[in-house]
Amino acid sequence: MSGEPLIFEIKRNSLDDGPGIRTVIFFKGCPLSCPWCQNPEGRRPRVDISFDRKKCIGCKTCIKVCKKSALDRHPQYFIEREKCDLCFECADNCPTGALARVGRHIPVQEIVDSVVRDIPFFNTSGGGVTLSGGEATLFMPYASSLLQALKLNGVSALLETCGHFDFDAFDELMYPWLDAIYYDLKILDPEWHRKICGVPNDRILANFERLHARALKGGVPVLPRIPLVPRLTAVKPNLRALAAYLKKHRVKKLSLLPYNPLWQDKMIMVGMPGAYEQAGWMPERDIKLCRSFFKRFELV
Amino acid sequence: MNRMIPANLPAHVLLQAMAANFNFRPRYRKYLKSTTGWIDFSVGFRTRASTIAQTIRFRGGRAAVRPRVLRDADAVIVFEDDAAFMDMLSHSSEEVMTMMLRNRIRVQGNHLCVLLFYFLMSLLIEELEGNGISLNGGKTARNGNKPGNAFSLPDRPSLRRKAVLTTGRTGPGVKYLEDPYLSGYSIEDFPRLGRFLAAHFNTMPEVCPERAKLLTDWHIRHGFEKKRSGEPWIPELRQAHAFKYLMENKQPIIRDEDLIAGTTTSMPIGAVMYPDSQGMFIWPELRTMSTREMNPCRISKHTAKVLHHHVFPFWMRRNIKLWVGEKYDNPLCEQIGDHLVAYILSKSVALSHTIADFPKLLALGTRGIRDEIERELASEDIDKQKRYTLEAMELCLEGVDAYALNLAAHARKLADQEQNPARKTELERLAQICARVPMNPPETLDEAVNAIWIGWVALHMENTNVGLSLGRMDQWLQPFFDADMQKCETPEQRDECIKHAIRLVSCFFLRCTDHIPLSPDVGKHVVGGAPANQAVTLGGVTPDGRDAVNDMTYIFLKVTEMLAIRDPNVNARYHPGVNTDTYLKRLCEVNLVTTASPSMHNDTAVMTSLEEFDYPVEEARDWSSTGCVEPTISGKHIGHTGCMMMNMVAALEMALNNGLHPLMNWQVGPKTGRVDNGAFPAFEDFFNAFKTQFEFLIANAVQYNNYLGEAHSVMRPTPLLSSLISDCIANGKDLTKGGARHNSSGIACIGLADVTDSMLAIKKFVYDDRFITFAELKDAVDSNFKKHAMLHAMIMNKAPRFGSGSQEALDMANRITKITHDAFASHRNFRGGIYTTGFWSMSNHVAFGTLTGALPSGRLAGSPFTPGLTPQACSASSLLDNIHDVARLDPRNMSNNIAFNIKVVPAAGESHEKSVNDIFSYVKTYFDLGGMQIQLNVVNTETLRDAMAHPENYQNLLVRISGYNAYFTTLTKELQLELIHRAEFGI
Repeated sequence: MSGEPLIFEIKRNSLDDGPGIRTVIFFKGCPLSCPWCQNPEGRRPRVDISFDRKKCIGCKTCIKVCKKSALDRHPQYFIEREKCDLCFECADNCPTGALARVGRHIPVQEIVDSVVRDIPFFNTSGGGVTLSGGEATLFMPYASSLLQALKLNGVSALLETCGHFDFDAFDELMYPWLDAIYYDLKILDPEWHRKICGVPNDRILANFERLHARALKGGVPVLPRIPLVPRLTAVKPNLRALAAYLKKHRVKKLSLLPYNPLWQDKMIMVGMPGAYEQAGWMPERDIKLCRSFFKRFELV
Repeated sequence: MNRMIPANLPAHVLLQAMAANFNFRPRYRKYLKSTTGWIDFSVGFRTRASTIAQTIRFRGGRAAVRPRVLRDADAVIVFEDDAAFMDMLSHSSEEVMTMMLRNRIRVQGNHLCVLLFYFLMSLLIEELEGNGISLNGGKTARNGNKPGNAFSLPDRPSLRRKAVLTTGRTGPGVKYLEDPYLSGYSIEDFPRLGRFLAAHFNTMPEVCPERAKLLTDWHIRHGFEKKRSGEPWIPELRQAHAFKYLMENKQPIIRDEDLIAGTTTSMPIGAVMYPDSQGMFIWPELRTMSTREMNPCRISKHTAKVLHHHVFPFWMRRNIKLWVGEKYDNPLCEQIGDHLVAYILSKSVALSHTIADFPKLLALGTRGIRDEIERELASEDIDKQKRYTLEAMELCLEGVDAYALNLAAHARKLADQEQNPARKTELERLAQICARVPMNPPETLDEAVNAIWIGWVALHMENTNVGLSLGRMDQWLQPFFDADMQKCETPEQRDECIKHAIRLVSCFFLRCTDHIPLSPDVGKHVVGGAPANQAVTLGGVTPDGRDAVNDMTYIFLKVTEMLAIRDPNVNARYHPGVNTDTYLKRLCEVNLVTTASPSMHNDTAVMTSLEEFDYPVEEARDWSSTGCVEPTISGKHIGHTGCMMMNMVAALEMALNNGLHPLMNWQVGPKTGRVDNGAFPAFEDFFNAFKTQFEFLIANAVQYNNYLGEAHSVMRPTPLLSSLISDCIANGKDLTKGGARHNSSGIACIGLADVTDSMLAIKKFVYDDRFITFAELKDAVDSNFKKHAMLHAMIMNKAPRFGSGSQEALDMANRITKITHDAFASHRNFRGGIYTTGFWSMSNHVAFGTLTGALPSGRLAGSPFTPGLTPQACSASSLLDNIHDVARLDPRNMSNNIAFNIKVVPAAGESHEKSVNDIFSYVKTYFDLGGMQIQLNVVNTETLRDAMAHPENYQNLLVRISGYNAYFTTLTKELQLELIHRAEFGI
């Protein structure tokens, strides 16, 4: 990847991205292009501008300061992105923060400074830092220095990954400083995977198998997670195949992530057209059905 | 002479009409009669511009109207303008109260005479409105707490989860409980508690005249200022004789099935009448309070008659507040107080916000205490006053014993009549107990609990039921539990003994709900839904610094969890490094189950806050919460910790307006400079103006409090409570005169976050960024940000805020708490004690908020301030910043404690254990970081909204306001919305 790594959010007080109270660092840029991506603003490895209509009070300050006439209140996306040169004058002057910059290069030390404030919360709850995204493994040298700095401060670190990375580099730069890995497995069929997520899955599966084999021998624990996306991943053949695959590799524990539709507003905010239509939350009945494929596993 | 100008004419005619009705119609005239003769009084009326000037005078059963304000009128009602006068005539008494809060009407002189006037007027208005004269109107009350509503046990799964965690034996103080969480017990194991709980929720409280009538009887016979013989009364002796008479003649009552004998009132649930403090505020509502919309209170015809014709006329010129007004000629400090927007002093109600020395009562019994008094009396150098004081204490203790013996006789009688053998045994036991205690030291848990209860009833017959608190009951009862357990030989006996302890403590809690404070309708704003706030304190450390958590601590927590009632107000001390995680986790679990209790305190921070007072360390370790949250040294300290509600924002508004308070419309403060005149070249200049205004208000509030303190020493010494507070006996001095070992007065300051955020916004936008001028900002504030939407958005989104993790904001908050603390600390109270400063608000963050204009912080006119010192809901996206900032406030500026509210909501489907662990993580970290107090509401907005729409389904929905618990359905709409708008953090 060219350019400096960008971070699009540092989210504190997360209770859902690993054990305890955690700070989640969201990296911007991902090698996959899953259409249900929960953080679509994290897909492109470059700076974006976002617009949140709910926060706008219609003061027109932004329209006045925009030198490219790229702003118009009427269309759905508000910003004409082909005109916008990302000067961020509008965001800087927006009184409510409705217009905002997405993605900023943050020096490692600055991240560490904001993380260490919450060490007391990590200690009482067994929490720490989670690298998420986007995909942190796209930026291994940077992620590596961040992980090492966290370790120096006694902060435990967890990686959420799509698994599409170069194993040797990962092994050298990141693995030694990780305390746990949450490893997403989406679709087992290689062709289907390439079609939906944009890349083949052979590397993802190979990496998983190596990491899991190490975990069985006392290495960093790896928790496979399966997003349940109606019509895409939560289909019987896929779930059946994944269950068989995991059983074959002597996996005991895994996590199922039922679909939620919260990402759709974010797509509009960053001006991306949606490629997947599914408005609602996953019904409890469907979740149960999905779970039935994994009866032999401990679900966490 | 007064010219009859147009606005004055209708006023004159209306008053003439009123006079005619009372002069010529017997149905009205009879209301002018008291049991001792005609009720004579006069009330004047004028507008600020004197466009109205009238007086109505009642004398010898005749009413007359004079077209001027008589100089000797008992009271004068001052109207903002003519319209205010006309409004008063057409408004209900509740609306008139609201007019008073909004400063459209003020009263000078004897406010009780004005209340009587309103009552008389209400009789006429009722007839005009065609309601006839019946005691109960047809309106039905809004809130759900009225009889007839079926109430099932609080087992709705949406509202109450069952506690499930268990734990192994833990902590050095836990001797007997194998599972201290007592997870094997539930309310279903105690059928009688279910029935008591149903009665608690289904019984409408009723005004109880017993105390007031007996005291009035005695005083009519024996005099108040002077004895029959003409000799002036020694106040202590007068109070003692009257108290003893009250206790001897008070009806002994034992509730069906109860294990505890005695009641504070003769009603199933009573609003005890204290005409000598705030009781007479209900005068205008005597005929309407049973049908008022919020918190109706039944009142029988007979009670209303007794109060109007017998009790109130006697006390209408004998009152703490009146004494000050007369002695100091309506001083400025009283005038400011009467506006009810800068400060509200509760000393006019009582100064008994304290913890009595129950360990002493348990160790010595009343007999032992009387022996101690006898020894003092026998010493040689005793002066007259000391002798009187000690004799007064003895008389009071005799009164307590007389009541206990009456209870014993009554229990015996009931036992004789009882058919059910099990109940017969219980009643026989009660007869034995009451014959033994509190006269003698108890030996068993049932004796100890009954001794405390009888003492508790007695203290409430002497002192008003606001914030008198119970203290460290787990510590004080453990030895008796221990003794009972020692006698058990089999595991079955031990189990039964533990179960009986849970039952006894539950009965005690439910006994404590037999009385509520008698509150006029307007009270819903100031102390919305508040019970008597009988604080119980658990856990912490022993006087020698060891882990104090014991078997009884966990038994009290079990009872708190099972009953989930608003009063007693349970407070738990947690001492980092000494108390166990197991204990703290249990506190969190009980909060999760009850949704709002107990309030949790960090021992280390509280003790740091008390350092400046040089209490011996073993005494400081023995602190208990009083009323809401405030620390009192148990049994040795009159801290009147709830003496004052101070509106910090009033000082800010005065600084913005050169000393003029906008709502009072009065140039009351010093002229510190005009914002639009460039009077404040630097931010510091404005900060100093605020400081000057605040110190001005503080000096006045303190002076008023001191005058009221003096009034107590004359009007209302409390010999019984004095006998139960260390050193009053040795000093031979009543506690109202400073007889206690430690003396202080405690303040609740309201609006810290609002003032801090306002200061930060002024500093940033006017001085640092020079984004606007101060005059422009003030313009925006004065216009409630109308036409300033962009500025408002800037302030809401870009200004630093307390609770956001900004160091500058934290420094500002610490600076403001420090000037507050220092200003109060520079004063001394009437008893020679210091002033302590706290930051909590009861419900006054809403009451004061509705009376306050927009603020530079972006808060809009009329909105609530934040509860206690809780950061603004918009201050931070992460709860962690709120926790960080509050934890880093310097405890040394907060010696009267704080109320830090957070609302947390477990995610749907989350396991009970994970929810407990998450809450535990926040609370533990907050304490590790040095946070002083934290209180939770574990309820989501949807539930609260549904409870507003369907109160009948949520009678037992417990919430924590600021320092105290209330049932959500008993709150005003404003207060309910404030709770809903609090930041909600998902877990």
